Amino acid sequence: MATTDQDGPAVPDASHILVRGAGKTYGSGERATTALADVDLSVPRGRFVSVIGPSGCGKSTLLRLVAGLEEPDTGDVSIFGATAREASAAKSIGFVPQVPALLPWLSVLDNVRVLDKVNRRAGRRRREAAGPAVAGCELAGDPVQLLTRLGLGDALDQRPGQLSGGMKQRTAIARAFALQPDVLLMDEPFSALDEFTREAVQLQLLDVWHETRTTVLFVTHSVTEAVLLSDTVVVMAARPGRIAAVVEIGLDRPRRHGHLDSDTMHACEHEVRARLEQAWTDVLPRDLV
Amino acid sequence: MSGADTWTARAGRRVRRVLRAAARPLHPRWWLPTVVALAAAAVVWTLVARANPYVLPALGAVGDQLSTQPGFYLRNAAATLQEALLGLVAGSLAAFALAVAISESSLLRRAVMPLVVVLNVTPVVAIAPALVVAFGFGVLPKLIVTALITFFPVLMNTATGLRSVAAPVLQVFRTVDASRADVLWRLRIPSALPYVFAALRVVFPLSIVGAIVAEFSAAGATQGLGTVISVASSNSQLDRVFAAIACLALMGAVLLLLVTALERRVLSWHESQARPS
Repeated sequence: MATTDQDGPAVPDASHILVRGAGKTYGSGERATTALADVDLSVPRGRFVSVIGPSGCGKSTLLRLVAGLEEPDTGDVSIFGATAREASAAKSIGFVPQVPALLPWLSVLDNVRVLDKVNRRAGRRRREAAGPAVAGCELAGDPVQLLTRLGLGDALDQRPGQLSGGMKQRTAIARAFALQPDVLLMDEPFSALDEFTREAVQLQLLDVWHETRTTVLFVTHSVTEAVLLSDTVVVMAARPGRIAAVVEIGLDRPRRHGHLDSDTMHACEHEVRARLEQAWTDVLPRDLV
Repeated sequence: MSGADTWTARAGRRVRRVLRAAARPLHPRWWLPTVVALAAAAVVWTLVARANPYVLPALGAVGDQLSTQPGFYLRNAAATLQEALLGLVAGSLAAFALAVAISESSLLRRAVMPLVVVLNVTPVVAIAPALVVAFGFGVLPKLIVTALITFFPVLMNTATGLRSVAAPVLQVFRTVDASRADVLWRLRIPSALPYVFAALRVVFPLSIVGAIVAEFSAAGATQGLGTVISVASSNSQLDRVFAAIACLALMGAVLLLLVTALERRVLSWHESQARPS
């Protein structure tokens, strides 16, 4: 996954999201903190990839670089051959932030549809380019069906103020899926939910993802969540933020509740935890200096 | 169809809520405190009026004024209301437009804000006589005074509201390359509405103050409750002064009611409008 064999600008590649040598430093002089140092990441189309690490390891920064919300100081990002800026101009990025970020004056359904009305030209071009037969289009292209599948069929006309935290976050997820983006970027979307709600929403996300097979880059700080959802878990370490390990999750799909307790899953979790711990102990001596 | 079900259910809920709201004022526990307080105030008023008729006129005399000359008071109230509302609309629209402009251009903000602040710290009452000299005894100077009074609160609140969009929402819009116009119309202006209404609640009653002040300054104006008050005071006709004041208070209350009703409609989504259920 993490490739280091190439320097210089990313080679445009229509089948991968590529991050090459990305570095990002905030502040300057003595106060400068290196959020990311020379990060290489490659995500093949159609994969669900989680990024996990302790706070301050730069996992959210990495996501913002891919989303085009920030520019890397060094290195570059390519989303299926396009720059992050081109990708957002073409409406091929779906972003789910940590908080639901819904518009309180719109109903649930209108919140899912609102991005249709923004940057219309790119939307039209996408529909023309996609043609009628794209896998998962039917579900993602119909906001009502999408919301119903996510368990919000009865709440279409409600305003965000009337919804629970889990319902709000599912609406935000539906909004991102409804764009039918090439890549979904999710920044700890479930971190504010309680345990029960989180498990339910995770499985609903998997259910919809299974049909759309959108490429997902998912930032989380929960090992269980990363293992349950992902094909690949990228473990990051802090100070400076870098990729410490890449763990492939060999669990069968579709994944359901039963998998939560399987031995394979526990084995995967154990490996991710071990890698995290290793990354953490690597950092410790520096802290003590 | 589940759509029809929810529609009828919603209509039913609405009807029940309206009925409940309509029935509420009929209960003594609802109206009794208000009535008692009003009666007590009337008693105090009457006692003061008996002891010293140059402090307060008798309530009966004020009532007589209003009931014997309703046309006179209505005509003057209409004149004042017209000045107030015209100034209010002009001032609010100008303030809203300027707030949008400075939220879009920091260059413009740096240029304009010092002027606006100077304007705000200048007592508008002090400008009124000069405006009368410049624009005469017609509607215009009154409209300008009212507009000036309205301007600053609406400008500041709208500017704050336009900046109140949460960062994550802006990020979502940025990742689909939303234009500035889209961000303005779909995010900033709707987010600013609660702030705009908070300002309107303040400036609706203030607009009457503006109109009256302007009328006071324009000695020789022929119409308006302010003119009525200044003429009647110089003739020591206290009953007439207080009849005009009663009209002003009523106008203020009606304006406030109006803006509250408008707010309920426009901001039904906002937490400030949540009804206890």
